[in-house]
Amino acid sequence: MSERPVLDVDIACVGFGPAMGGFLTTLARSGLSPTVICYERADDIAFGVSGAVTRARGIRASFPDLNPAEIPMAARVTHEKVLYLLDPLGGSRRSAALRLADRALRAIGLPRQDAVELPYTPPFLRKDGGLIFSIGQFNQWVGSQLMNSGAVQIWPGTPVTAPLIEDGRVTGVQLADMDVRAALTVVGDGPVGAVGRRLNEHFGLPPGHAQREWAVGAKMVIDLPEGVGLEAGTVFHTFGFPEPEIFGFFYVHPERVASVGIFVPSWFCNPVRTSYRYLQYYIQHPCFWRYLKGGALRSWGAKTLAESGRRGEPQLAGDGWARIGEGSGSTNVLTGSGVDEAWTTGTQLGEGVVELLKDGRPFTRQNLEESYVRRRRASWVEEEGRIAGRARDGFHRGVVTGLVSMALAGATKGRLALSGKPKEMPMVSEYYRGRIPADEVRRIQQECAAKGLAVHDALLERAGWPAIAYDGRLLMSLQDALLVGGKVQATPGYPDHVRFVDAARCERCDAHTCVEICSGQAIAPGTDGVPVFDREKCVYCGACLWNCPAGAIRFEAGAGGLHSAEN
Amino acid sequence: MYYHIVVCGGIVPDPLQTLEPVMGPGGPSLKNESMLPAVLDPWAAHALYEAANLARNCAGSRVWLVSLAPKAKLQQVMMTVAQKAPFELVPVDGPSGGFTDPVGVSGALAGAIQTIAGLERERLLVFGGWESATRGAGATMQMAGERLGILEQFQGVDALSPREDGTFEILERIEGGKHQVSVCAGPPALIGWATGSLGEPRNNPQTGMANMRTIMPALQKARAASLAGGAPQFLSVALPAQQRATRVVKDLSSDEIAREIAAWIKGD
Amino acid sequence: MESTLFLAFTEPDGSLSKAALEALGAAVALGAPLAVGLIGAEIAPAARQIAGCGATRWLGVSGEEFGPSRYVTDAAAAEAIVRAAGATVVIAAANSRTNRALPGVAYRLGGAIDTHVTGIGDGPSITRWYYRQRMEAVLSRAARPWVILLEGGCHAAWSGDAGEAAMETVAVTLPPVRTRVTGVRVPQTGEQTIRPDAALLFVAGAGWTKKQADGQTHPREAEELILGFLRKSQASLGGSKSLVDLSGEGQAVLSFMTHLNQIGQTGATPRHPKGLSTCCHGEEPHVVGWRFVTERRAVNLDPNCGWARGKADVLYVADAFEVMRKVNALLA
Repeated sequence: MSERPVLDVDIACVGFGPAMGGFLTTLARSGLSPTVICYERADDIAFGVSGAVTRARGIRASFPDLNPAEIPMAARVTHEKVLYLLDPLGGSRRSAALRLADRALRAIGLPRQDAVELPYTPPFLRKDGGLIFSIGQFNQWVGSQLMNSGAVQIWPGTPVTAPLIEDGRVTGVQLADMDVRAALTVVGDGPVGAVGRRLNEHFGLPPGHAQREWAVGAKMVIDLPEGVGLEAGTVFHTFGFPEPEIFGFFYVHPERVASVGIFVPSWFCNPVRTSYRYLQYYIQHPCFWRYLKGGALRSWGAKTLAESGRRGEPQLAGDGWARIGEGSGSTNVLTGSGVDEAWTTGTQLGEGVVELLKDGRPFTRQNLEESYVRRRRASWVEEEGRIAGRARDGFHRGVVTGLVSMALAGATKGRLALSGKPKEMPMVSEYYRGRIPADEVRRIQQECAAKGLAVHDALLERAGWPAIAYDGRLLMSLQDALLVGGKVQATPGYPDHVRFVDAARCERCDAHTCVEICSGQAIAPGTDGVPVFDREKCVYCGACLWNCPAGAIRFEAGAGGLHSAEN
Repeated sequence: MYYHIVVCGGIVPDPLQTLEPVMGPGGPSLKNESMLPAVLDPWAAHALYEAANLARNCAGSRVWLVSLAPKAKLQQVMMTVAQKAPFELVPVDGPSGGFTDPVGVSGALAGAIQTIAGLERERLLVFGGWESATRGAGATMQMAGERLGILEQFQGVDALSPREDGTFEILERIEGGKHQVSVCAGPPALIGWATGSLGEPRNNPQTGMANMRTIMPALQKARAASLAGGAPQFLSVALPAQQRATRVVKDLSSDEIAREIAAWIKGD
Repeated sequence: MESTLFLAFTEPDGSLSKAALEALGAAVALGAPLAVGLIGAEIAPAARQIAGCGATRWLGVSGEEFGPSRYVTDAAAAEAIVRAAGATVVIAAANSRTNRALPGVAYRLGGAIDTHVTGIGDGPSITRWYYRQRMEAVLSRAARPWVILLEGGCHAAWSGDAGEAAMETVAVTLPPVRTRVTGVRVPQTGEQTIRPDAALLFVAGAGWTKKQADGQTHPREAEELILGFLRKSQASLGGSKSLVDLSGEGQAVLSFMTHLNQIGQTGATPRHPKGLSTCCHGEEPHVVGWRFVTERRAVNLDPNCGWARGKADVLYVADAFEVMRKVNALLA
């Protein structure tokens, strides 16, 4: 048996995002000097993806004198609007109730550029006094201060393969070529992080908890054309287009740059759901196209969001380990915010760890529950998370039900919500019943499979959506966007991190949703029914993982992915 | 025989980024330069890996990395580089863009090298890339060598092999895909590397940890350099005249495609 | 008042290369009083070759120790000639020898240098690339002497009458010379694949070594097709960085491909009238190496690869194995 080299540290950290930023910042200020090493999969700490708009309560508590001007692309929120977007193209699938509402709105002449501004922003969505920023630039800013402090070493381009678990204790982490042993392992690797998921598998989720709701968020960072007079700090939240289930956003950064994106959720029961094409329709919606036409794509990215919130929370701590951030269920699915919540859980763990270190107490499950989990439970993250708890359930029954449920939950502080359970995904021909004859759907499926293509483009066009008119600057193919905006890199020397482990399931699968939803077109139909994976296009969004109904996809950590610092 | 190897290397934008020049009062620079992710210059990186390899094979050798770059960005680049090879960082806080002049940059580099305590001239090998991925002049190393009084200089090097008698053999790229072979009597010498023959080392966390002990204090103490001398007057800087209108051929058989290609090759 | 020095190292036979004659053409075109400086083991043939160029001074350093391409002797000789000429602008052809030595000489003289220059204009001003051929600059300088190394293929070669030139020998004091040039080494594969004067650049990308439609790799067939094409077309072979790097990963590789073949990224930017790319994505870091390839075509199974986006004149969406097999048959 070959000897794997071993490195001994006090605290090993997996993932560098806002949660880990909060944890390490708190630790670095404590005056204590444990040996702390943080390993991040992505090739640079600036390559994360998020919206992001936040009330920044936790972040401001850590940085009371924060001046947004210090962080490139950051701005204070100045205007906020919620827009209901009607469908100018007629392709979206709207319920009878929604179509009635649209007709009524049009009849009274309310929509402007096919959008209706809500007279007020519901309190749970409001971000007054908050910040818009690029998570990449924020993480870089935080990371720079951490490195300066000398209190922690952060190593990007270093994926963690798995936690080291011995007799129910986590004793460290496994890297590609060596093991790192630590008294405490802090896991903040996001909603699809490999280490977090291994911990879930090993220790199980708490009783009654399940992770069933997800979304993939996809965004573009766009240089606005000359003469567009949108003020930095302008925030638009939208719903209704390109499909009623798809929420969207448009945030304006300084220097005429905008982040524009959509969320494609798991309760959008379209077996061939996709993100990039829908995002292209979104940016061309009349109410946004008047600002974006003539602009240029400068950055692009996608990520998975954990939408189960509090009810998807895994075990937060055990002997030798603790979880923070979105992978620990901190994202608030009612307010649609996660960055500040993640940061705050990080600071809570930081405070707990400092307390334990000062008292010389070991990192046992009990001690971590007393020092970290207790803080978390007593905080606004928990309180607001409970309110949000069932806010999304209504969506399983339909969009109108879902919106009503959110409003109810928000208004009653979580006491009331409409319930729902995830529905089974229909077959593709069933989904398009009434729009495309079943035999035509099957023909399109066969033709696309033969050409190694996804079906969503062909089906969308057949269902009445127009072709996208590429201009090479803002509207372009997904591969062009990967090259121009995503700048995706596959680091040599690593095996495929996405693998299909149950060929029989793939062969029987009707829709191959993984192919359709892949943010980078890295998954294509294979010749024998099992999809093929191209590492060179993968942006590590993890959408494939939760879009497979059969759990037939293994998604591990590897280096590479997006090389864009502006998402 | 041991060596004191000083590697000079700047930072450059990550190769996948979209670059655009902007003209300012101080001359041209890159749009959004401070936001672009950066990496160690690729040829300088090859020089660093060759230095580490040579040091490993010649017991008692030491490796330094001298880098002129904005401190904060250099710190971030070290997060990637420090796991690759053992070295001591000698940072100089200054600009890293390509529009600076080799005269000024060579002064900053030579000045920093002269501050290295315990540097033995009779063991000194100054390594660098034969040109940078930013300025691409291939002139800075020679000027630094001149300032240090080093007259044995080689450029476009792919191999340096020490021999039993203390001399070493050098392979330099010359025209036609060939190498010129020279034998140098020994240090001090200056080597501008092409790609060498080593692959990029895998990240080694232990190396990283050990390096960071010296890198962080060095960065904190880094002094600012002013690049004296030599700036040209830029009359214009522009992206090349744009795209070709690509004809995408999807419907021809491979026979027809082959005929078209063969005709094009033979033609006019 | 500017004055120009045309500086050249002679070939082993004492003559001047085509690139050197192009640099002479550019020097003459500046219109200022012209001096000629020649360095080499033998310089008389060169002087005779260009005697009719209109130079008013002829400065030379010759002898066995100035034959080899070597920094210490080249720099000393060049410095001596530039000082003797007192010229304000020095023009030489860019090659491995001048690229090595002249920057040091410019420094010694308190002047400035621009290398890889692709054009010399009024002023004088020069044109050169920055950021790996991604942007082009036009600049002028106040510093003198201004040394300009001109890339080959950027100016018409001087042509004119041969004759006799009145050479002045310039004295050179050499410091201790501690380097010996012992020879030239060619790639061990024995297959000469780099041909700088070829009419066609053939680039092989990583796709040649990847799994094909049958789920298998075909490295031996790839080698045969590529080498076969190179022999028949006498093209020069280039590779992408990913293909060149693969040999470090234990993958099926093309045995004749070395890092010297790499185009773009940390590789070369050769000049060829035509270039054919196969099995390569056409991404910017590689394509920067194609800056001086005039006509470009690509063969790739991916209709959305970089070549399709304005980087090539024609993209053939097809299987390169099949296409090259048939091209080879047609070229036979």
